[in-house]
Amino acid sequence: MRKSWRTLVALELVLGLAMLSGGAAPSAEAQAQPIVIAVPVGLSGVNSVVAPAVVQSAELAVEELNAKGGIMGRPVKLMPLDDESGPAGAVKAFNTAIRQHKADAIITMETSAARNAGAPIADRAKTLFIYTSFYEGRACGKYLYVNAWVPEQIVAPLVKFMTDEKKVKKWFVLGSDYAFGRGLIEPAKKAIAGLGGTILGEEYQPLQQSDWTAIISKIRAANPDGIMYATSGGGPNIDFMKQFKAAGLKMPVGSLSIDELTAEQGGNAAEGVYYTGDYFTGIDNAENKTFLEAMKKKFGANLKTPNSLSEPQYDGIHAYAMAVEKAKSTDADKVAAVLPTIVFKGPRGAVQMNKQHHAPLPVYLAQVQADGKTKIIKSFGLVDPGSQCPNLK
Amino acid sequence: MYTTQLLDVVTTAGVLYIVAVGLLVVYGVLKIINLAHGAFLAMGAYAGVLTTWAGWNPWTALLLAAVMGVAVAALVEWRVLRALYARPLDTILATWGLNIIVVQILTLYFGREIHFAESAIAQPISVAGVTYSQYRLVLLLIAVALGVLVWLVMQRTQIGIVTQAVIMNEELAQALGINTRLVRFVTFCLGAGLASLAGALLTPLVSVHPNLGVPWLINAFMLVLVAGVSLGNLALAALVLGGAQVLVSSYGNPVLGSLTIVILAVIILRFRTITI
Repeated sequence: MRKSWRTLVALELVLGLAMLSGGAAPSAEAQAQPIVIAVPVGLSGVNSVVAPAVVQSAELAVEELNAKGGIMGRPVKLMPLDDESGPAGAVKAFNTAIRQHKADAIITMETSAARNAGAPIADRAKTLFIYTSFYEGRACGKYLYVNAWVPEQIVAPLVKFMTDEKKVKKWFVLGSDYAFGRGLIEPAKKAIAGLGGTILGEEYQPLQQSDWTAIISKIRAANPDGIMYATSGGGPNIDFMKQFKAAGLKMPVGSLSIDELTAEQGGNAAEGVYYTGDYFTGIDNAENKTFLEAMKKKFGANLKTPNSLSEPQYDGIHAYAMAVEKAKSTDADKVAAVLPTIVFKGPRGAVQMNKQHHAPLPVYLAQVQADGKTKIIKSFGLVDPGSQCPNLK
Repeated sequence: MYTTQLLDVVTTAGVLYIVAVGLLVVYGVLKIINLAHGAFLAMGAYAGVLTTWAGWNPWTALLLAAVMGVAVAALVEWRVLRALYARPLDTILATWGLNIIVVQILTLYFGREIHFAESAIAQPISVAGVTYSQYRLVLLLIAVALGVLVWLVMQRTQIGIVTQAVIMNEELAQALGINTRLVRFVTFCLGAGLASLAGALLTPLVSVHPNLGVPWLINAFMLVLVAGVSLGNLALAALVLGGAQVLVSSYGNPVLGSLTIVILAVIILRFRTITI
């Protein structure tokens, strides 16, 4: 017992000395020291489907920055880390990024649970954190900025389109029974009520359950003009749509949870579904074409199709680079002070995080075609995120 | 409304029966719970993806799935399980390990993302005045056909009679000169083949991904626990538990509905005299 205790102390001492000497290493070329951008992302766990695309977006942005001489003449180093898609992994990843790799900024897409665990760590360490994933909203912090959508930006336009153009007055709303599903159905209900619509039914399905029979029968019995749903991402969208169609239901469907990739992988299952978003590969502007071509050239056959969860990562890194150039410093306080003034014109259009650390975003309406591909049918222009963090400027 | 609910109840029972029958067969003869059942379901579902890629008729996926399931099961029974029958607890570990290996191989080859498998039947049909999913009705017929087929094999064929002897008293059967090793081998292959077949049958209802078997495995497990080793009991359990789930979901909500199978299973197990 006593012996092992002594061994432990010895080990601690050795480790401590090693760390001290490492920390005291002289840095002769401070100017050429790389700027480190950490990307804690769900390389394993539920986000592992989308994470590779996020890392690819980041790699392209960093390559472009380094090709023109880095940021303020300093090379940019990308540090992808695995947050295991959850809070425990995020705590490890954020601590590793900040303490071990001395990250200058954390720019990443992650689950809300991982973000909620990681953000306080970044905040305490005064490290700038740009969150590039759409989410349920109202995450605030002095060093936390968000460049992707919150429900206010995509829900209301979709409800309005279906009310005006598809004449949906009587609705049935449904979702997966968890924070994101309920978090999106709530604003949908508000938007529906605001436009004078009525809600005939509201149902939530447990995440594990992939048989939607009971809810589909309830929809049939209620006979609404239209459906609005928010399942969890990926597969459940296709499960629901397959069973909905096989049951012979034909009313218009709005989705708050489908994405371009899922729709395409689902073949014809989601044909006809309307959804809104800030990024689609089909956006017709010069920046998007250049972006997609550069991605294809860099990754070739290994390219993961860029999507609304991965593209903002590219914007986020470029916005950060511009902010550092403008602040002439990597100091988080200085960068955070100028970040809201930065406009980066990327594949989505001009994005500026100037509304309480959130960004007004261009929002598009799209519809899934018979081959699973997504077609943009309308642009809503810049949509405001509303009041997300009233205590911040 | 009532017609729809009746159809919901019987078709849900049909789906549950299809998913659980392979697990029951293995449990009945080998007295082990095949925790790789979910992996075999997933493998069968990917057979649907492969036939879609090849452009074959969607029904061929059933055959391919059964062949793949039997092939993998034969290999595993021969090289691994056979040595573990004297240690039932270790078979839990072994089949769970097999589950992980199969799911990881599927993930490595196909990736974590969902895949598309062509459906043989996607149109609805009109039954007694209600429009209903034709495929669910077909599944009900398949469930009945599978039930009858497995029952016939057990009652009318030599291997079935021998299998029953093994179920009732394995040592006595062995003493009478029955090759119990062969019976176990055939049963495990049959159970896994049925599981893969069920996976292929599920693809028109759900999207294909490596973990698609997990939620189904849990329900199948509950049903088998309640049903014991009888095919008739399994049909009854599927009808009662599945029916209760549908009705609670319809009149209450799906969150309560999904609890129903588990709660009912616990209640039934509490009051049922277990006879194996």
